[in-house]
Amino acid sequence: MLKRRDFLKALGLGGVGTGLGFMLGESIKTPATNLIPYVVPPEDIVPGVANWYSSLCTQCNAGCGIIVRVLEGRAKKIEGNPHHPVNQGRLCAMGQAGLQALYNPDRIKTPLIRKGSRQSEEFRAITWEEALSVLAENLMKLKIASNTEKLFLLSSVIRGHMGHLFETFMQNFGSPNYIQYDLFQHKELIFANKVSMGINILPYYDIGNTNLLLSFGADFLNTWLSPVNHSLGYGHMRQGRHGSRGRLVQIEPRLSLSGANADEWIPVRPGTEGILALGLAYTIIEEGYYKGQDINEWNKILSPYKPEMISELTNTDNERIRTLAREFASARPGLAIAGENAASYTDGVNHIIAVNILNHLADNIGKTGGVISNPEAPIKKTQSLKDIDALLRNARAGEVETLITYNTNPVFTLPHNSKIQEALENIPFVVSLSCFMDETTAHADLILPTHTSLEDWGDDITEPATGYNTATIMQPAVSPLYDSRNAGDILLSTAKRLGNRLQKNMPWDNFRDFFIESWKTIYEKQRHTYAGEPVFEDFWNKVLTQGGWWDQEKRTHQSIHFIKDNVKRFISSSPSLFQGNEDEFPFYLILYAHSGYYDGRHANLPWLQEMPDPMTSVVWGTWIEINPQTAGKMGIREGDLLLVESPYGKLHVPAYLYPGIRPDTVSIPIGQGHKTYGRYAGNRGSNPLDLLPGISRHETGTIPLNSTRVKITKSSEKGNLVKMEGITKEFDRQIVQTIPPYERRQN
Amino acid sequence: MRKFFLFSFIWVATFISGYWINTSWFSDKQPAQPIAFSHRIHAGENGIPCLYCHIYAERSTAAGVPGVQKCIGCHQIIKRDAPEISKVADYWERKKPIPWIKVHNLPDFVYFSHKRHIRAGIDCNSCHGNVAGMDVITRVSSLKMGWCIDCHMSHNVKNGRDCWTCHK
Amino acid sequence: MSRFLDKLFARFNIYREPGYYGKYDYKWTIVIDLDKCDGCEACVIACHAENNLPIVGEEECSKNRAFNWIRIERYVEGEYPDVRVKFIPILCQQCGKARCEVGCPTYATYHNQDGLNVQVYNRCIGTFTCATYCPYDVRHFNWFSYKWEAPLEQQLNPDVTVREKGVMEKCTFCIQRIRAGKDHAKDEGREVTDGDIQPACVQTCPTGAMTFGDLNDPESRVSQLAKSERRYRLFEDLNTDPSVIYLKRVMKQTKQ
Repeated sequence: MLKRRDFLKALGLGGVGTGLGFMLGESIKTPATNLIPYVVPPEDIVPGVANWYSSLCTQCNAGCGIIVRVLEGRAKKIEGNPHHPVNQGRLCAMGQAGLQALYNPDRIKTPLIRKGSRQSEEFRAITWEEALSVLAENLMKLKIASNTEKLFLLSSVIRGHMGHLFETFMQNFGSPNYIQYDLFQHKELIFANKVSMGINILPYYDIGNTNLLLSFGADFLNTWLSPVNHSLGYGHMRQGRHGSRGRLVQIEPRLSLSGANADEWIPVRPGTEGILALGLAYTIIEEGYYKGQDINEWNKILSPYKPEMISELTNTDNERIRTLAREFASARPGLAIAGENAASYTDGVNHIIAVNILNHLADNIGKTGGVISNPEAPIKKTQSLKDIDALLRNARAGEVETLITYNTNPVFTLPHNSKIQEALENIPFVVSLSCFMDETTAHADLILPTHTSLEDWGDDITEPATGYNTATIMQPAVSPLYDSRNAGDILLSTAKRLGNRLQKNMPWDNFRDFFIESWKTIYEKQRHTYAGEPVFEDFWNKVLTQGGWWDQEKRTHQSIHFIKDNVKRFISSSPSLFQGNEDEFPFYLILYAHSGYYDGRHANLPWLQEMPDPMTSVVWGTWIEINPQTAGKMGIREGDLLLVESPYGKLHVPAYLYPGIRPDTVSIPIGQGHKTYGRYAGNRGSNPLDLLPGISRHETGTIPLNSTRVKITKSSEKGNLVKMEGITKEFDRQIVQTIPPYERRQN
Repeated sequence: MRKFFLFSFIWVATFISGYWINTSWFSDKQPAQPIAFSHRIHAGENGIPCLYCHIYAERSTAAGVPGVQKCIGCHQIIKRDAPEISKVADYWERKKPIPWIKVHNLPDFVYFSHKRHIRAGIDCNSCHGNVAGMDVITRVSSLKMGWCIDCHMSHNVKNGRDCWTCHK
Repeated sequence: MSRFLDKLFARFNIYREPGYYGKYDYKWTIVIDLDKCDGCEACVIACHAENNLPIVGEEECSKNRAFNWIRIERYVEGEYPDVRVKFIPILCQQCGKARCEVGCPTYATYHNQDGLNVQVYNRCIGTFTCATYCPYDVRHFNWFSYKWEAPLEQQLNPDVTVREKGVMEKCTFCIQRIRAGKDHAKDEGREVTDGDIQPACVQTCPTGAMTFGDLNDPESRVSQLAKSERRYRLFEDLNTDPSVIYLKRVMKQTKQ
């Protein structure tokens, strides 16, 4: 029989057993979830079925068209718009990462007003009503005191109607001080083209159809001008044409991504790309390839550029200069492009003009596969009326009372030697219209959050277009996540509060009304081209569906006239100026846009931080590229923390041994080194712009990036260099197999 | 020794019964819903077709549950003062969705397309049981992978046994 | 004894019979033209966006644990100034005679009738056999259950599951798009046509270096491209029968 003790044990055991069995049953159940229906099911949403919206990518200035996959009101994927003439369904890495800007955890959610000092970066949340009245009050004060020119409006480069709205606002307010500033504005290219070819609009560089592409410091596959369009062209140039394969020769001191794909790399001395171009031009004249009437004049202009005379200067073999010139002139068509690297010297304009001369003499202008002019846009291009220099000067002189910034971050993208921070300190009231707490926004007094491009209306007149007028419409793919507003709406409601002239001349309730009205006007004026859309509504629906408006039938090419007299002034046989004397500062410093961060604006997108840099595979940081031979001589190993000093600043950066750079040159990518900018970008890496002098160019008002020399000292510490590559030597593994060019047969 | 066997037997027996208690009286096959909606009244007595309310079933992977608007469409007039129906009106007034408890819940890694199954001609009742007779919606199928595979095999579904047909 | 075991495991071994995979419904293939690929890594980011790949952070990257289902490998030859750089995108080759399939002790990876190497997360117990066997090093392990900082999780693709700690994952040729493409074709009552389905990487490639299609279809673009005299496959001599065909880059050799 069972003793009492055993009985109790059995009871306990039984209880535990039941409990455990019960818990087993409980634990293997799927947790209960809710099934939440809509209150009123939206008509255009079917859960599980995607809606695609056409829009505009604003991650760089190329202006590619995108389509956004939206599931139940959430943006899931961005793809290239297959109809868009610039990118034709393709999209680059930065474009794909646009989703992380929309859903970024560090977005500003409400209007903020500064609490403490400007340095403290403390803000408190306020309502829109409060924020707009603070802004209106401040502007009203300016009006009453007749100080309206003390209002400065600084935005990124905007080619569409938002820029027009800003212009209209400033005009009606009574201030001429609307400035557009981005680090990469192509102002040198625009200026050089105007001076040498008389065109106001960037032409189309027809890479796809060319036979020999000479790229003078243009990283056209990666970050220059219109990378996706150029990449499409590159693919076509290589293997898209039956029976012919175009060649690429890259001429630059530091091998860029485009250079890595070149058939030949000519590592020219920094600052001498233009001289080399003129040496090629000279050969073309001398050897009789140029058939123009003015050959004697050209001979006179180009006489200092004999290959034998410039080969030492450019550090290129003079025989190679001659053979390359012959190849280029016989390419028919060939194409020479001058990119950001060449444009970034102090006299960058001269280099570009030299390349334009080369194109002209090789008869590439106006030809398929060469430089094709683009027609004037139906909408007047917004011109930045002043340069960023004007802002700095006026601020220092105390002539700026209020600064409104939109979508631009000059505190980061201007070298601190330009004294931008001091200038800001001198401005009593700074308003930032921004999505993120970047450096400029952190110094503001009032912060008004704006929509990201996936939540916003807008448009863009593509420049460079692909030979015909192209306008892309940006429409919201999702409803705004937070309490942000369209920047145009903010200015329009401010205009209403400022009364009188402003209210009368800017009657629109919101930006969308303004911009649709303007499109109606364009439609009316150009009605004859829209056969098939007799009513504006039909036209507008078509434009929204396909993502923009482009008129492929009407390719009106303006003819380009080369202006010889102008170019004489701008070419020079002296290499570009680099600050710092050669003995103390032995290395040329070349800066370049990082393929993910661009000018630093995308450093807060984690996908792009974790994207291995294509040429070095480094992630989450900054590095300095140094030639392995030079490094060997200095005892520098990979990952060593180096102290880089220019006459204007210093940085600590880890070293990366990079065979694709001249021994007398070092290179640092731009983009990291943010002090604030969210959790992914803040306090990470270094900003090489701080090594630059703050002097801007005379013609364009932009800061030359390749304008200083540096010295390198090895520090005793190990830097933090995280790279994803293993060994970059193939040995016999036959991983990337190649065939030599003469054996090539088309597929 | 005998004690050991006795105790083991007790332990095993109570373990099994604990599990059995859980599955029969505490099962999640028939959870309590926030509003006592009866399919028997709507689909059975009144003969409302499934797709009238579950509108997405034929065009999407998800079948969906009707929005509050669908309910209020009839019930703003029909029996609006009945206790359960006034709850619906209350949700409608406050513009809040009714937080139903999901009965047929598949894990995130399963891809199940209602559209494909309906277009293959499968009747709603074959998986969901006799819904028109249920006062409280009950899960009659195990929804386990073996059950899915059995049906795929017996109907000779093309690539029916391939893992990537259903696993995401 | 071994005959007994063979009989016992016969059902499991049928996948290893030669010719078993010979008859496919589709034979999904990607052709990558290395003369067009410029190493821009748009495919890498597109893959991250499409397949819910987590961000691991700097520390984990230093341990080489980043999730790049497709990666660009760069090989540098020569010394300054005669430097040659070559790029190659490497993704799961969906091998016809996959080593990973042979090694997996739980059959979490096997070959399906479309010619794809299927990875079933539910069966995976994380033994790493497949990753060790893979000669292309394309398998990635979930060392943690990664979190997305709100609201980044709103971007997650619902057609792709989010993997938990302890399972292996790899490129799937965007099976969710293949499935959706077949679904769409079935809705319209037709067969899948060439160009209907494109994985994220193929769709976004700016130079157009990648092409996806059915090698069984003689009219498809991949079949035309696969006839090229420049064709080769990676580590062909290892006999893995990959479904990714590369076209050789046209390049002058370095002076050695």
